[in-house]
Amino acid sequence: MNWRSIGVLVVKDISLFFRNRLFAVITMLGLVAFTVIYFLMPSSVDETFEIGLYAPLVPPALEVIQEEEEGLEIIMVESEDSLQKGVVDGEYLAGLVLPDDVMDVLLQREILQVKVYFASDTPEEIRDVVDIIITEMVFLQIGQPLDIEWNEEILGPDMAGSQIPQRDRIRPLLAVMIIMFETFGLAGLVSEEIQRRTAWALLVTPLTVRDLFTAKAIMGILLAFVQAVLFLVIVRGMGEQPLIIITSLFMGAVLLTGFGFIMASLGKDILSVTAWGLPVIIVLSIPAFGVLVPGAASDWIKVIPSYYLTDTIYRVSHFEASWSDVWGNLLILMGFNVAIFSVGILALRRKLQ
Amino acid sequence: MVNYSIVAEDLTYWYGDLVAVDSISFQVAEGEILGFLGPNGAGKTTTFNILIGQLKPKGGKATVLGWDIAKDAQKVHREIGVCFEVTNLYEQMSARENLILFARLFGIRRFDADSLLERIGLGGRGKEKVEQYSKGMKQRLMMARCLVNQPRILFLDEPTSGLDPVSAEAIRAIILEERERGATVFLTTHDMMEADKLCDRVAFINQGKIVALDTPHDLKQSYGKRALKAEVAVGGVNEYREIPLDVEGTPEAVRDLFSHNRVVTIHSEEATLEDIFIKITGRGLEE
Repeated sequence: MNWRSIGVLVVKDISLFFRNRLFAVITMLGLVAFTVIYFLMPSSVDETFEIGLYAPLVPPALEVIQEEEEGLEIIMVESEDSLQKGVVDGEYLAGLVLPDDVMDVLLQREILQVKVYFASDTPEEIRDVVDIIITEMVFLQIGQPLDIEWNEEILGPDMAGSQIPQRDRIRPLLAVMIIMFETFGLAGLVSEEIQRRTAWALLVTPLTVRDLFTAKAIMGILLAFVQAVLFLVIVRGMGEQPLIIITSLFMGAVLLTGFGFIMASLGKDILSVTAWGLPVIIVLSIPAFGVLVPGAASDWIKVIPSYYLTDTIYRVSHFEASWSDVWGNLLILMGFNVAIFSVGILALRRKLQ
Repeated sequence: MVNYSIVAEDLTYWYGDLVAVDSISFQVAEGEILGFLGPNGAGKTTTFNILIGQLKPKGGKATVLGWDIAKDAQKVHREIGVCFEVTNLYEQMSARENLILFARLFGIRRFDADSLLERIGLGGRGKEKVEQYSKGMKQRLMMARCLVNQPRILFLDEPTSGLDPVSAEAIRAIILEERERGATVFLTTHDMMEADKLCDRVAFINQGKIVALDTPHDLKQSYGKRALKAEVAVGGVNEYREIPLDVEGTPEAVRDLFSHNRVVTIHSEEATLEDIFIKITGRGLEE
């Protein structure tokens, strides 16, 4: 391996990369834009249940519930119409209408007619919560304690009171997106080297094909890895285990460099590289979006190599996962790296010949 | 004893069913300029690419400076300079940066890019981006790039193709200077005038085979028509007379021409390399 020549080539590539206005703008804008997006996202989760109530007479039990139940806010509304509007507009999770004679009905233990309004997209869980609130109010008001024993069992991490804010949930997605965007830059640079036939000029110097690929790989990994690390440092996304995060990002950069080689071998210029690259990047982004919207993707997502990257970063930065928790992910990611990188090198070698 | 810089033995290469280079053999002596002449698709560039190590021969062997190019390409590359037919410079870099990049790849620590640029007629333009250069300037820079490591062999693929006469002449001058320095030159071209001016020997390649290999002079001697062609004025009208040179009675015919006619012009008639190529192969160089 001719490391001196490889170094010369890497310096040349970095210089050319930043001389290309398109690549330079994409790189700088990408880093700035992703950081801005992160800081614009909500940094906390609002866990207060706001329920609208229209009742000419409010039962004292309801006031007790509001005082005792943390996170529940009952907002009085002047008319049933404004209650309906508030529910539709999303001001309240639900709207309750109690009849004029609510106290008489409760005291005479007759059937209480309660009208509840939900928006069409209200989740089933919210409806259950509202049912519980009404039932509890009824029992409080008539003075009979509930003869129920609650046994709670928490499956998985207990997220009660510590839900992940949107900005932190999106963090792994943004880090992975930064790596992916740099793939276009690398692929464009390599395809240009082939299109302009400068690669052949390099290969009649003491530089070998292996040296050339090594230089391109170093360039691609450096660009993607350094930016992703920089981003996570800025947004404080390294968590308690920065070494695992750095290792994951490095492996992600290797994976995407392999994809960059494949894209460069398929495309003739930056436009065709982009055309080939977009579907690849979209597919690789799916696991990251899966993190953003839990439950949106099922087990098939595990066939996408980037899943193991996103999942590792997500678990380490949010749930303090350790090496023993993520070694399986990293092993699979390494397997994908070897496979994709080898295919990339072979495809590029074939193109050079 | 002659030292050969390049030795090709039964070189063969094919693309699918097409035999591009068909078992060719030749040698190029140290300090010699060998011209490889042939029309497009004759096998010139394939041979060129085998000799510079970018294609592995599918048959035969090529030795460059004593090394088998298929096995020791890296050693060969340290000692050669290659100028491709297609311009392949880093256009977003300046001429100086291009040259310095390649000097570093060759491991040259002290490299004077400016004097090399001066030598090829680009003095004072070294800091401009190559994308702003004309085709002739780019080709001169390509030539300069292949001189960066003071190569023992220059491989030049159509170095003057499509250039203006001034740029072409500048490049020819550099080729001759390099020969003076002691470099061997392997030159592919389909410009027979250029081959005639520059080359010590020329090889005609047609359909992957070498059909003739000799000095331009000897090829003309072997295949050309030796005759005198005279324009004479006869009764106010000019007529042409041809006198064969290698037959009995030539002196009498020449004397007779001058005694009985007013000679307007007279010159020896030689075949051009293109005439000879057509004679041998039945096709032209521009085909």
